[in-house]
Amino acid sequence: MRTWALVVDTWREALARKTLLGFAGASTLFLLTITFALDLDIVQGSLAAATLFGHPLEMHGGQVAITDVVTGGLSAFAGLTYGLGIFLAVFATGNQVPNLMRRGTVDLYLSRPVGRAHVLLGRFLGGVTVVAANLLYLCGGLMVIVGLKTGVWEARFLLAALLILVVFLSFLGFMYLVGVMSGSTPLSVMLSYGLWVVSMPLAAHDKIAAAMDSRVSVAIVNGLYWVLPKTAELGRDIVRLVLHQGAPGAAALATTTAFGAVCLGLAVTLFQRKSF
Amino acid sequence: MSVYRDVSATISVHGLVKVYRSRRRRLRALDGVDLEVGPGEVFGLLGPNGAGKTTLVKIVLGLTRPTEGAVRIRGANPDHASARLKVGYLPEGHRFPGYLSGVAALRLFGRLAGVTEGVLDSRIPELLDLVGLADRGCDRIGRYSKGMTQRLGLAAALIDRPEVLLLDEPTDGVDPVGRRHIRDVLLAERERGTSILVNSHLLSEVERTCGRVAILDRGRVVREAAIDELTRGGLRFRVRAEGGVVEPATPVPGVGLTRCNGYLDVEAESLDALNALLDALRRDGRLLTEVTPLGSDLEDVFVKLVGGGQPPTPRAAGGGAQ
Repeated sequence: MRTWALVVDTWREALARKTLLGFAGASTLFLLTITFALDLDIVQGSLAAATLFGHPLEMHGGQVAITDVVTGGLSAFAGLTYGLGIFLAVFATGNQVPNLMRRGTVDLYLSRPVGRAHVLLGRFLGGVTVVAANLLYLCGGLMVIVGLKTGVWEARFLLAALLILVVFLSFLGFMYLVGVMSGSTPLSVMLSYGLWVVSMPLAAHDKIAAAMDSRVSVAIVNGLYWVLPKTAELGRDIVRLVLHQGAPGAAALATTTAFGAVCLGLAVTLFQRKSF
Repeated sequence: MSVYRDVSATISVHGLVKVYRSRRRRLRALDGVDLEVGPGEVFGLLGPNGAGKTTLVKIVLGLTRPTEGAVRIRGANPDHASARLKVGYLPEGHRFPGYLSGVAALRLFGRLAGVTEGVLDSRIPELLDLVGLADRGCDRIGRYSKGMTQRLGLAAALIDRPEVLLLDEPTDGVDPVGRRHIRDVLLAERERGTSILVNSHLLSEVERTCGRVAILDRGRVVREAAIDELTRGGLRFRVRAEGGVVEPATPVPGVGLTRCNGYLDVEAESLDALNALLDALRRDGRLLTEVTPLGSDLEDVFVKLVGGGQPPTPRAAGGGAQ
């Protein structure tokens, strides 16, 4: 009951702040465009012609197998959703903890017979469900529309959405930690974007380390690589997954998940010790 | 041996110290506070700004960690969530999420308090009616006035029929009619047997609702007593007579007299001295119309204790404060 109350509260907040409506509106617009504006002419399992808003799309190299078109298109879309989706999701959920910790508001929540960890994790769960629902709506909707139009049902696209959600969870855990420590929405959001920017090039940590003279610098680069989320690797894995080119790397997935879990654990611990 | 004087006390605070530390200074917000609020008691917490009243209430609820000392609420450590079962709290300057309606806020905080949906369905309209928000329950809180959010805060504090109520400035920003309304609600809760801790600047409200008060100043309890005890005067009386009254022709030993607006304020050493004065006035041909014992109002006591030690101004006992 209490967890449900916190999840519902998070949804109400997302609805009131137009976050959810913005997500849903943009997703719906995209899905409607794909549904009504994109016309595919499939002949014997191959894409013979395609039009967007009535304008013919150029088909380089003649007919292409429709499965290749679908997996190629969905993998590109998965890559786009990975970057843009996490950017928007971080922006939309960065205020969750600072809003909760506002003077005069936090007292109302924490004076109830519910543990602090429960309150924080309840809101975390609420944030996760908001983003998961949006991802499911967008990716699931796209998969269904493409499936109906082409007859190719690419379930791996949903697995890719799940991977995107896992990376987002890691960032949400980090935002909760920054939020509990600082109580600041701008700082939570900016540091999360900073984390993205720093973690991306670390995929090439071997090359970066090879170019360094100092052993300390090398240790720092390698340490950061293993501690921070593997945003670049997982982005590549998401695309490969949809293209049937292999499963995501277990180490990248595990360390990214661990990063989020440790951040969330620290956030809960600090939140429990905090005086309001 | 237990540090608590009364194990049956609803709220027990013993040797409470809270020090806020920043880079530049240390602020001792509470400095060895001992308090107990009994079952069914309405206890007032008074003090100037920065005296530590809100800090004390937050520590009792487990919102703020004490530096030293022990706190129990119905015998339990407030750090445990279960200690807050059936405890209502109205924080000072509370901010409900503006995106909620009054009904949605009561449902949210009712659910967090563990109240079942069925009970909430009947309890929410009942509470909105009680605090005078029956016709505004579906409006967003963002559109409420300060007084309305205060009433909603009181309703939220009462959502699970609490056995303990902690109210921090409950009438803050509320108009006189609303204040009376809130006072009536508190008196009804007192009749129900709820233990209430009220922290308020409005001394008249405290005087009318509380049985006992503690006055905090700079983190210390400077006085704790029953309201009657605090406001009871010594042997001081106001004497009126037809056509005004002046000092008797013959001085009376053992009385101090102050003449003002046709009446005499008398400070007597004993009842015999008072009666000797009255006899002297009667001998002078004065027709006495009134002899009223004087007390101090709570404000006088408060100002004397925390405001520089000025002597209290006498007033007629039973008169309104403020």
